[in-house]
Amino acid sequence: MTEFIQQILDGLSTGLVYGVLALALCVVFQGTGMLNFSQGELATLSAYATLMLLLAGVPYWLAIILAMALSAVLGAVIERVVVRRLERGSEVSLLTLGVALLLGINAIMAIVWTTDPRDFPSPFGQGIVAFAGLRMTYQQLGSLGLLLAVTLLTALLFNKTSVGLRLRAVAQNPASATLLELSQGRWLMAGWAIAGAVGAIAGVVAAPVLSLSPGMMTFPLLLALAAATLGGLTSRIGAVVGGVLVGVVTSVSGRYIPGLQGDLAIVVPFAVVAIVLVFRPAGLFGRERTVRA
Amino acid sequence: MSAPTLEVRDLRARYGSVEALHGVDVTVGRGRLVALLGGNGAGKTTLLRAVSGVVAQTGSILLDGEPIGGRAAAAVARAGVGHVPEGRGTFTDLTVAENLRLGTLARPRTLRGSADADLDLVYATFPVLREMRGRVAGLLSGGQQQMLALGRALLARPRLLLIDEPSLGLAPMLTRELFATFDTVRADWNTSILLAEQNASLSLSVADDVVVMAGGRVALAGPVEQFRDGSAIRDVYLGNHDPKAEADR
Repeated sequence: MTEFIQQILDGLSTGLVYGVLALALCVVFQGTGMLNFSQGELATLSAYATLMLLLAGVPYWLAIILAMALSAVLGAVIERVVVRRLERGSEVSLLTLGVALLLGINAIMAIVWTTDPRDFPSPFGQGIVAFAGLRMTYQQLGSLGLLLAVTLLTALLFNKTSVGLRLRAVAQNPASATLLELSQGRWLMAGWAIAGAVGAIAGVVAAPVLSLSPGMMTFPLLLALAAATLGGLTSRIGAVVGGVLVGVVTSVSGRYIPGLQGDLAIVVPFAVVAIVLVFRPAGLFGRERTVRA
Repeated sequence: MSAPTLEVRDLRARYGSVEALHGVDVTVGRGRLVALLGGNGAGKTTLLRAVSGVVAQTGSILLDGEPIGGRAAAAVARAGVGHVPEGRGTFTDLTVAENLRLGTLARPRTLRGSADADLDLVYATFPVLREMRGRVAGLLSGGQQQMLALGRALLARPRLLLIDEPSLGLAPMLTRELFATFDTVRADWNTSILLAEQNASLSLSVADDVVVMAGGRVALAGPVEQFRDGSAIRDVYLGNHDPKAEADR
């Protein structure tokens, strides 16, 4: 039993990465209506920014905050310079743009920092907490706390503030929002900026576990997409829970299902996602669009 | 005499290469309710959309004497034009209360203080909205959504309110009830209304002035008294009216 619980805790470390990344995907989706495939690469870029700041002697927490700010600015710039040109385009062209950004940012990072993996120190230190025969690293505990804090903050932002209300309004019905003097461009930019900042957290949570390289988030992005689909793209809590579930299911099935060692275990979470979607097409926590015929 | 709330002169608007408005003149006097009548494709919706800046236009549009033509839609809204679009345009995933709050957020800064009192006024005019305030707007009936769209537009405290086909998809009795509120709305909210509507007889019962459009032009315009018997409007709808012949006469 202890070993089983330990497997779950181990699944947490990667699950948290998927969770934060899925959260960022949801933020950009709820704030702009677009599924941003380049979210993972943006998170990796923030991790590189954090590392550069650390190497320059900036204290860790300040470096994270600066990286979040940089990511927010970068998100806003991408919206303003690239996405806005396609605003009236179809969803397909927006998806294509996401993939193009993914490949482009990935290539730029490879040119600047090479593809060699780098060590990335944990912001929470190296320690281990042991209790009742189980152990958790400071990194796991800290990531968990960070994820809960970010989830809570985005929930407050979207549900309790006028900024969040305006963001949701513009994402959902841009035409009507314009008639209420909400300038579409400005608010979509804000949505990208917030998602960028959340994505920076994902980068910092992932880099110490996965070690930093340009391709660090390519694979987690797929799982984050699965996580967001599992939880429901319309639900931020759902995405976070979905991310943790995907991580835990992968870890547990890799240990207990014969023949599914290592990366093969990845088929299990996707099977779970497929089964859930059969019964709940909007995901575990998602809401189907509530429009009366 | 003060300037009318809305004064539109020689307004032209086009969708791509097709011109939909061919030089339209419309005036909405202060505190007046102007019914904009005409059949399908007459240009009613385009006129409203051109005024609120959603459709590109040329010509002159004055709001309280101040030119607003050529501005972006968000800027026109900020200047004081409220628009209840055809199909209502509610935010279906947001709750009724959130929809109304968006209206409050759009009001001029100087009026922020009276927002709560205005919200009570909306709930007093449309009591059903108070009952449903926690519900997602997409679950409301057509009539309730129309009330919500109207309430939301009013909360922005517009000087001019554009209402597009409010009767669309509503039961006749509901439509009558809704139209009955327009009169109180105008007085309570100190606004002027331009109402585009196909239902001529119902519109005449609430309007002060009438503008009848056909083929992207104004066919007839004047105080409502001239239109009471309905024959003039019928002629326009049936195509018997020829504006050129009238001009020659």
